[in-house]
Amino acid sequence: MESLRRYDVLPWKNIKYYMKQYKFIVGSVVIVSGLVFLFASGVRESSAHHMTLSMLANSETSQLAGKRIQLGGSTVVKGSINWDEYRHRPTFVISDGKRSLRVKYSGNTVLPDTFQDEALVVMEGRYFANNDVFDADVIYAKCPSKYEGKSYEGHIAAIGDPISL
Amino acid sequence: MVDVGYFALCFALVPAGYAVYASIIGALRNQQQLVRSGENAAFSVFGLLSIAILALWYAILTHDFSLAYVSENTSRAMPIQYLIASLWGGQNGSIMFWGWMISAYMTAVLFINRYRYRDLMPYVTAVLAGYSLFFIVLNLYAADPFVRLPFAPEDGNGLNPILQHPYMAIHPPVLYAGMVGMAVPFAFAIAALLSGHLDSNWLRAMRRWLLIPWAFLGAGLLLGGKWAYVELGWGGYWAWDPVENASFMPWLAATALLHSMMVQERKGILKVWNIILAFFTYGMTLFGTFITRSGLIESVHSFAQSSIGTYFVVYLGFLSCGCITLLVYRLPVLRTPSRLESFASRETMFLLNNWILLGMLFAVLWGTLFPVFSEAITGDKITVGAPFFNRVNIPIGLVLLLLTGAGPLFAWRKTSAEGLRRNFAVPISAAIISCIVVGTLGVRNLYAMMSLTLCGFVVGSVALEFYRGTMARKRNSGERIWPALLWLLTKSRRRYGGYLVHIAMVLLFVGFTGKAFTTEKEFVLDYGEAQQIGRYSVTYEALANHDDAHKFTSAAALSLYHDGEFLATLLPERRFYHQSEQNTTEVAIWSSRLEDFYLILVGTAADNSAKFQVYVNPLVNCVWAGGLLFVFSSLWTMWPTARERRLAFMDREVALGEADISQLLTKT
Repeated sequence: MESLRRYDVLPWKNIKYYMKQYKFIVGSVVIVSGLVFLFASGVRESSAHHMTLSMLANSETSQLAGKRIQLGGSTVVKGSINWDEYRHRPTFVISDGKRSLRVKYSGNTVLPDTFQDEALVVMEGRYFANNDVFDADVIYAKCPSKYEGKSYEGHIAAIGDPISL
Repeated sequence: MVDVGYFALCFALVPAGYAVYASIIGALRNQQQLVRSGENAAFSVFGLLSIAILALWYAILTHDFSLAYVSENTSRAMPIQYLIASLWGGQNGSIMFWGWMISAYMTAVLFINRYRYRDLMPYVTAVLAGYSLFFIVLNLYAADPFVRLPFAPEDGNGLNPILQHPYMAIHPPVLYAGMVGMAVPFAFAIAALLSGHLDSNWLRAMRRWLLIPWAFLGAGLLLGGKWAYVELGWGGYWAWDPVENASFMPWLAATALLHSMMVQERKGILKVWNIILAFFTYGMTLFGTFITRSGLIESVHSFAQSSIGTYFVVYLGFLSCGCITLLVYRLPVLRTPSRLESFASRETMFLLNNWILLGMLFAVLWGTLFPVFSEAITGDKITVGAPFFNRVNIPIGLVLLLLTGAGPLFAWRKTSAEGLRRNFAVPISAAIISCIVVGTLGVRNLYAMMSLTLCGFVVGSVALEFYRGTMARKRNSGERIWPALLWLLTKSRRRYGGYLVHIAMVLLFVGFTGKAFTTEKEFVLDYGEAQQIGRYSVTYEALANHDDAHKFTSAAALSLYHDGEFLATLLPERRFYHQSEQNTTEVAIWSSRLEDFYLILVGTAADNSAKFQVYVNPLVNCVWAGGLLFVFSSLWTMWPTARERRLAFMDREVALGEADISQLLTKT
C-alpha cells in the first residue's frame, strides 16, 4: 500500500480512495436509510406532544382533538383522588397552582406506588374538550418533594440558615 | 467525627490538584521523583476521601440528624443494611461516593500498573486525579453532604419504602462502579495522545480496565431491571426511561470499543476510531449523569433538579475542547498504514458491529433527547415513549445478533468462498432447526421467530468454534475431550471467555423475546371463587389485614393450580407505610423454569372481594440467567493468565531494580 502524506487522513483529500470502496459506501447507505426509516416510523407511532396546563388552556380546541398529549408540570390536588371500588382506576384533579383539570385514568397497569396526593404527575393520553377531561392511559408519578429532592433551600426557607460547620 | 470527614473532604483538594500538576510536569521533564510524588498524592486522595466516606457512614449509623443529609435520607426505624445503603441513596452522598470511587479506581490502576506502562501512567494519574478533583469541587460547592441543620430533629424522613429492597441497595454502587470506571480507558487514551506513544500499548494496558466497568455496568442495569420487576408491579423490567437510557448508552459505546480495539491490536488500523470511542464512552457517562441530574430531561425517577448541571456543562465543555484539540494535534501520527482488504473479513464484521452498536446508541440518544431537539427546532416539545425505542431497537438488535453469530465465522484479512461455505454450514443448520422447532411450538410472531432463529444461529457458531478449538487441542496434546475443552477455556481466556459472553447475550435475547408472549388479565374474585388464566387457575382463599407500628398490610391468599395440579399458595400484598404515607404493591411471583406467574393485588372492596391483575411472563428467567452468565464470563475473560502474571512480576522486579533482565529471562 502506498504511504500516505501528512494530510491524507483528512477525508476530503481522499475522495478518490473512498470512491473505490463502493461496497462500503453502499453498505453504509443501506444501514443509514434503514435507520432513518425506523426512526421516522417509530416517531410517528409513539410521539406525544408535551404540554403544560397553561399551554393546554391556550390552545385551540380543534388543534387538540385526537392528538396524543403528554401533560406535565402539575400535581395531584390533595383529597381529589376518587378511586374506583377496587382502587384501580381513579379520577382526580390536577393543578399547576392556577388552573386545574379533571383526569380520568383508563390504562391497564396498576398505578405507580408514588401516585398519591400532591404527587407530581406526568401523564399521556387525550384531552376531551367537550367535557373538559383528560383521559390518561399512562401515568408517571413522582413523590411530593418529601424524600428525594427535599432541598436545603426548602430547609433554609423553613427554618433559617443551616450552619455548615 | 463529622468535622473530621468534612475537613478530609476539603483537604483532598490539595493532593488531588498536586497529583495532576506533579504527574504532568514530572512526565514532561522526565523527573521520576516528581512522578512518584504525584502517585503518592493520588494515594492520599483515596485515603482522605475514604475518611470522608467513613465519617458520613458514622453519622448515618449513629443517627446524627443534625446533618441535613442524614435527616433527609434516613430514619431511626430503618434496618441497618438500608442505613448503610443510604450513603449513596441521596444526591449529595452519591456524589461523594462517586468521587471516592474515582479515587479507588485511581489507586487500583496505579497499584497494579505503575511498574508497567511507565510512559503512560503519569498522564493516567493526572486525568483520574483531575476527575476526582472535579467531584470534590462538586461536593464542596454544589452538593455538600456535611451541611448541618441549626437543630437536630428527633427523627429523619427515612427512605422511601419502595427503595428499601436488597436489589435497590446494591444496584447504585454496582452501576456507579460501571459509570465511574469508564474514566480509566479514557485516561489511557489521553495518556497515549499526550505521551505520543500511539501504538496499541494503551489498548493492552486498558483492556481490563474497560472490561471491569463494562461488566459492572451491565450487572447494574440488570439489577435495576430485577428490582423494577419484583417491586414496581407493572410486570416488566425495562421501560426506556431516560435514567435507564443514560446508563445503557455508555455500555453500548464500551461494547463497541471492546470489539474495535481487537481490530487495532491485530491489524493496526482504526487507531483514531478507538481513541474517539474511548472519549465517547467516558463522555456518555458524564452526559448521562448530566441529563438525569440537571433536570434537562423530565424523568420521574431522576434525582432532584439541582445546580450541579452547570458544573457538568463546564467540565464536559472543557474536556471536549481539550480532547478534540489533542486528537487533531496527533492526527498526522495516527494515520493508518493499511486499510480493509476484503469485504469478507473479520475486520469488516467488527466494523459493522461497531456501526450497529453505535446506531443503537444513537437511536436511544435520539429518543431520549427528542423532546429537547423538537422544542429547539419547532418550538413544539414532542416526546417519544417505549414503542419508539422498541420499534427502532428490535430490528437493530436482530442485526446485532446476526453479526454476533457471523463475526467469528470470518477469518482475518480475507475469507475464501469455500471457507465461508464450510464455516456457515453448521450455524445455518442450527438456525434452521431452531426455526422449525419454534414454528412447531406455535410461535407466529415474526420478530420473535427471527430472534429465536438467530439465537440458534449464534449458538451453532459458538459451538462450532468450541468444537474446533477442542479438537485441535485434542489432536496436538492427546488430551481427552473434557480436559481439552477446559484447557481451551483457561488458556485462551480472552477468546473463549468472549464466546461465553456471546452465549450470555443469546440468553438475554431469548428472555427479551419472551416479552412478545406476555399475557395480561385483570379480574375480580369473591372468597372461594376461581379464575382461569391460560393453563393456570387461581382460587381466592382469604384476605388478612394487619396493622403494626410501621405499616398497614392487606394480604390476599390464593391457591395456584397448573392444569389442575396444586403449585403454591401466593400472597400478594398491599401496604401502607404510616410514617412516609406511602402505598406499596408487593407482587407475588411463582417462577418456573419456563415462565413467571406474576400476581398483583390491585385492591379490595368493603365486602372482601378483591381485584387482581396477572401477567404470565414466559422466559423471563433467561434474562436473569443471562445476566449471571454475563458476569461470570466477563470475569472469566478478564482474569489474568499465568503468563500475564509472570510478565507483571518481571516488570515489577525490573522496575524496583531488584533483578536484571537477563536473570529473569533465564528463569522464565
